[in-house]
Amino acid sequence: MMILESLRRQPAHGYALVQHIQQRSNNLLQVEEGSLYPALQRLLKAKLVKAEWGVSSTNRRVRTYQITAIGLRHLEKEISSFERMFEGISLVLNPAETTNN
Amino acid sequence: MDWLPSIFRRRSLYKDLAEEMREHLEERTQQLEREGLSRKNAQRAARRAFGNHALLEERSREVWQWPTLESIWADVKYAQRQLRKSPGFTVTVILSLTLGLGANTTIFTLVNALLFVQPAVSDASSLVEVLLFNPKAAGLESHLSLSYPSYILFRDHNHTLSGFAAFDGDPHVVSWHNSGYGQMVHGQIVSGNFFSVIGVRPILGREFTADEDRAGTEHPAVVLSYAFWKNRLGGDSSAIGRTMILNGTGFTIVGVAPGNFNGVLIASHPDFWAPTAMAPMLMREPKLLSSGNTYWLFGVGRKKQDASKFQMKADLSVLAHTIPHRDPNEPMEVSLFPLQLVPTPLRGYVAAFTGMLMAAVGLVLLIACANAASLLLGRAIVRRRELAVRTALGASRSRIIRQTLTESLLLSLVGGALGLVLASLSIPLLLSLKPASLPFTFEVALDWRVYSFALALSLFAGIIFGIAPAMRSPRLELVSALKDETQIAGPRRSWLRDSIVVLQITVCLVLLISAGLCVRSLLNARSIDPGFITHDVVIAQLDPDSLGYTDSQKQAFYQHLLDRVRALPGVSSASLTSYLPLGTERIMQPVTVDGFTPPPSQEGFYIQTANVAPSYFAAMGISLLSGRDFTQSDIDPGVRPVVINQAMANQFWPKQNPVGRHFKVNKDTVEIVGLVPTGKYRNLSEDPTPFMYRPINIASRASLVVRSRPGAGSTLDEIRQIVFKLDPNVVPEDMESVSQYMALPLFAAHTTGVLLSAFGAVALLIATIGLSGVVSYSVSQRTNEIGVRMALGANRRTVLAQVLRQGMRLTVIGIAMGLALSFAVTRLLAGLLYGIKPGDLLTYLAVSLLLAAVAFVSCYFPAHRAASIDPMQALRAE
Repeated sequence: MMILESLRRQPAHGYALVQHIQQRSNNLLQVEEGSLYPALQRLLKAKLVKAEWGVSSTNRRVRTYQITAIGLRHLEKEISSFERMFEGISLVLNPAETTNN
Repeated sequence: MDWLPSIFRRRSLYKDLAEEMREHLEERTQQLEREGLSRKNAQRAARRAFGNHALLEERSREVWQWPTLESIWADVKYAQRQLRKSPGFTVTVILSLTLGLGANTTIFTLVNALLFVQPAVSDASSLVEVLLFNPKAAGLESHLSLSYPSYILFRDHNHTLSGFAAFDGDPHVVSWHNSGYGQMVHGQIVSGNFFSVIGVRPILGREFTADEDRAGTEHPAVVLSYAFWKNRLGGDSSAIGRTMILNGTGFTIVGVAPGNFNGVLIASHPDFWAPTAMAPMLMREPKLLSSGNTYWLFGVGRKKQDASKFQMKADLSVLAHTIPHRDPNEPMEVSLFPLQLVPTPLRGYVAAFTGMLMAAVGLVLLIACANAASLLLGRAIVRRRELAVRTALGASRSRIIRQTLTESLLLSLVGGALGLVLASLSIPLLLSLKPASLPFTFEVALDWRVYSFALALSLFAGIIFGIAPAMRSPRLELVSALKDETQIAGPRRSWLRDSIVVLQITVCLVLLISAGLCVRSLLNARSIDPGFITHDVVIAQLDPDSLGYTDSQKQAFYQHLLDRVRALPGVSSASLTSYLPLGTERIMQPVTVDGFTPPPSQEGFYIQTANVAPSYFAAMGISLLSGRDFTQSDIDPGVRPVVINQAMANQFWPKQNPVGRHFKVNKDTVEIVGLVPTGKYRNLSEDPTPFMYRPINIASRASLVVRSRPGAGSTLDEIRQIVFKLDPNVVPEDMESVSQYMALPLFAAHTTGVLLSAFGAVALLIATIGLSGVVSYSVSQRTNEIGVRMALGANRRTVLAQVLRQGMRLTVIGIAMGLALSFAVTRLLAGLLYGIKPGDLLTYLAVSLLLAAVAFVSCYFPAHRAASIDPMQALRAE
């Protein structure tokens, strides 16, 4: 989901994606950089993203990933269901707040 | 279908992935270098941040794979390598599995042909076989075929069938007059509507018309079988409309049946079909169609769409009740069965016989599986180290079990495939057990059922023998296995392997005892006195009637024939008889004797009768107890002499000399002129049966019986020449020696004996391999221990004895269990055994000794090897 969200903002290659996610999460999410790749392959297989070889701004050969139309739809569904779940969790964790509202 | 290109794309996908990951690492390294780290440190840090490169690449690749399928394929390839590395083991296991699975496939092919193959008719499910049913009779006797009048009754008055046809279950031998020579062909009599009711359309020509099946028709017609048309008439389509001379009458060929249609009865492959109207002429029974007491037709009906089985039964029963019957108080019922190649009333017997064979081959397979399991177990221990390494590298328990099972399945599938080859080779051998005199063609084909059976059985066997070793293999002590510790301390034997060997011996003994009983019963049956001397006798069936001979021509023909045959130098006597004992034919005649009241509602005591020419008793080697043989003058009408057997004398004139007494046959008074001993007439196990001989008059069909002088050799060819010179159109049928002829009544016993002996031999072979494998294995495991013991002063004899004792202990336990089991199992064989009890002590003892001896030999070689271990070498290897 995070990968898709990042790619929605702008197409990127693997390294850039890692950088992006680490920055956006304020380095809270410290994962092995490599674990990105199995995830990317899964997205590729499900046709949620597509990949193309190209040359980066730093003039190196990179494989750039881009979100597809199916990927966008999938992301929207995921986000909404995630938000519902998140809402549910917060309702359970902070019952007082909601009743007050 | 996007998985298809993905297979081909995969290689490039992997390449992309690898490159991408490399680039990623490189970029990170450069980034870190820019931050001030040395190249080396930067590389290390980059790698640390990235994680386990190989594992992640593997995981990423797996996204594109079907992980289970591909790892199974990898397992198969690995198993193949492993098996190729130990050819001795592989060959042994595959060999025993081939034997086991091959035997099963062979017998199943037979069962399939007998019980599962459906007749080649259209929509068999709406066809019913209709038989009469006599509720008062027992077993097979309770089912009766239809007489022609009852067939007509059912055909014309039923309300639930859209068509009702009939066929004669017995094939008829007919002589075909083909360009100057007579040839024997087989025909089946069917009702005129037969082909249309069962829905078989001739591929050439047409079916019978109603006129062709009308009694007294002017248009005799035949439909040919495809094989006959192809092989004997050259597949010539102008054959339609041609005339064939059958038994002297011209028949028009009106059609040719399709190639896959061989009638609706197992093993009968008629050359032609002729309508019922021609039956009296072809079968030489003029009153056949009007006789209500001749039951010769199987009914087959096509049910109306909306009729239920219950309605059909009710409908036909009403008709059956009106059939005139010997006893009006016991009306006939009908029984309805699905149309099958083996008629339903017989299926139980066939199933029991083949079931016994299946059980026997099942045991063979069990032994083969036990063998494979015990060899695999041995191997698992040898491969301890390999498995331990794999476990240490992180292979899960289930993964190792799967790997081991893959190996056993691979073995069993190879065994199954070879077993199919073995089956296709052994089926012709099996069929050659059928005596040539049986007028049956038996077609046994490997079809999809056989293939699926072989596959299913192979998989089943693979799992059965693979599961125990597979479950055991992961239970290793990792550390000691990796350290490659040899077991020094004592005989740590696997109880599992031991019990497998015991099981093998047990099952093997059961099989061998069954085989032994059958072989001994066969020998007994051969030595049963049939009442005549079987050697130096040849027989031939003659049928001059079929050529339109007049009575005087027939008499002349037979007289010339007898004269010339008797004149042959090697012949001591020759005679004729209306039929031979122990064949399929029988004639009974009603006899009344003063002072004896026949059974109620019968006109006399029905006594089996044969009509014979003079010197029949000499030709058959039957001695006269008193009185005389028939003479030439007895054949003249007016004098009515009869020769009876001892059983008949005992029944009517006990403890008296019956010669000279009179009684009545069919209201004719006859005089007893001779007495002969009781022989066997229907089958070899029958009780003494009354029998009488009457002089032959004008024979239509007769069997020639010729006794040659001892050592004169076969006279078959000379007799054939004499018949040919007398009339080239007369074909002597079924010419054979009586010992060949005797194969028929012994058929079932013979087949069972041969098959069980073969299975027993195979089982013995496999069990021997198993036992010797277990003992050799334990010797090889104990090389060190034996070395140490010998270094400490044990002599070769003690070592030899000890190893032998180990093997023989298992053998003795197995034999004891096998004996107990055999007592139970062989009861099932009782029905097949002649003159021997299922619990025959001598057989049990002899077979046990044989098995023990074979086991001893198979233990001796590994034991001898153990005793020749050089202590120095054994210890140095440590």
